Amino acid sequence: MSATWKLLFIGEPGAGKTTCIAAVSDIEPVSTDVGCTDELAQIKETTTVALDYGELDLGRDGRLLLYGLPGQSRFRFMFDVVKEGLLGVAVLVDATRADPLRGLRETLATYADEFRELPCVLCLNKQEVPARGLLESCQRLLGEFGLVAPVLVIDARRRSDVVRIFDMLFLLLEQSSVRIDRQEMVAWH
Amino acid sequence: MALGVPDRVRCAGALSELFARCEGVEAALLALRDGRPFVEKFRNPVDAGRLAAMTSSLAALGQSALKELKAGALDHILIEGGEGKLVISTVPGTGGLLLLAVLAARDARLGLVLGQSKICCQAVAAAIPEVSRK
Repeated sequence: MSATWKLLFIGEPGAGKTTCIAAVSDIEPVSTDVGCTDELAQIKETTTVALDYGELDLGRDGRLLLYGLPGQSRFRFMFDVVKEGLLGVAVLVDATRADPLRGLRETLATYADEFRELPCVLCLNKQEVPARGLLESCQRLLGEFGLVAPVLVIDARRRSDVVRIFDMLFLLLEQSSVRIDRQEMVAWH
Repeated sequence: MALGVPDRVRCAGALSELFARCEGVEAALLALRDGRPFVEKFRNPVDAGRLAAMTSSLAALGQSALKELKAGALDHILIEGGEGKLVISTVPGTGGLLLLAVLAARDARLGLVLGQSKICCQAVAAAIPEVSRK
């Protein structure tokens, strides 16, 4: 049986989770989007309330199972549903929002403990050239929650950009494996 | 057809009726489809925000499963645990706008909980202006 790898996309409504998964999935993505009933309806018709799911065939290397979760704290329990065997997480931010850090702050406040244990990439979506200082503000905010993560500028509709997220996550995973091996060696000696 | 804002007082009344008619009900909550509480009534304190979010997630997952299996629209979900049972129902005629979650004790009669949940949903549907005119 070939190996399966689980990766997670997470972020505020409209950040691009569903779009990322749809851009690369070999199967028709499973979606749990429903119509918004609050002020979000002004900027987005639907929002994910449980999860998005897609799959990507990696040939002999197995399959990537792709999950998208809402970043709002009230859906925190959904993380427990998918966390088993999770290899990495991409945190998505809608860079065009008037206050792009607001949703990110809520996501980090809710999940920082989990993200510290996983390879993590922050993705600024929807704007080729993010507003001046946004990258630095994101890095600062990550730092406030004790997180260090690369920040990528992406267009979630582009398959190549989503593949770039995977490349970065697997690179981080490789590095963390090396680091763990070294720590184990030190502990052994 | 756009729906009006549900009448909170009438919705709360429908939940009270449910408590009165069905022994063993511990909590009843109306959640908006995107996971926010609308009206709730609890015998003991329950985190309404969490229950509303779980209600919308479970309903959305149930609907997705039914869609994949070509098994029609979601009517209700039943989850039975060692200490209680949870019934999540869609309020008819609202396009999934409102969901009813009813938590009942382990020894509550399932048929009664399901039946009274359905009656409660109908009462709630009647408390939404456009739906009541149908």
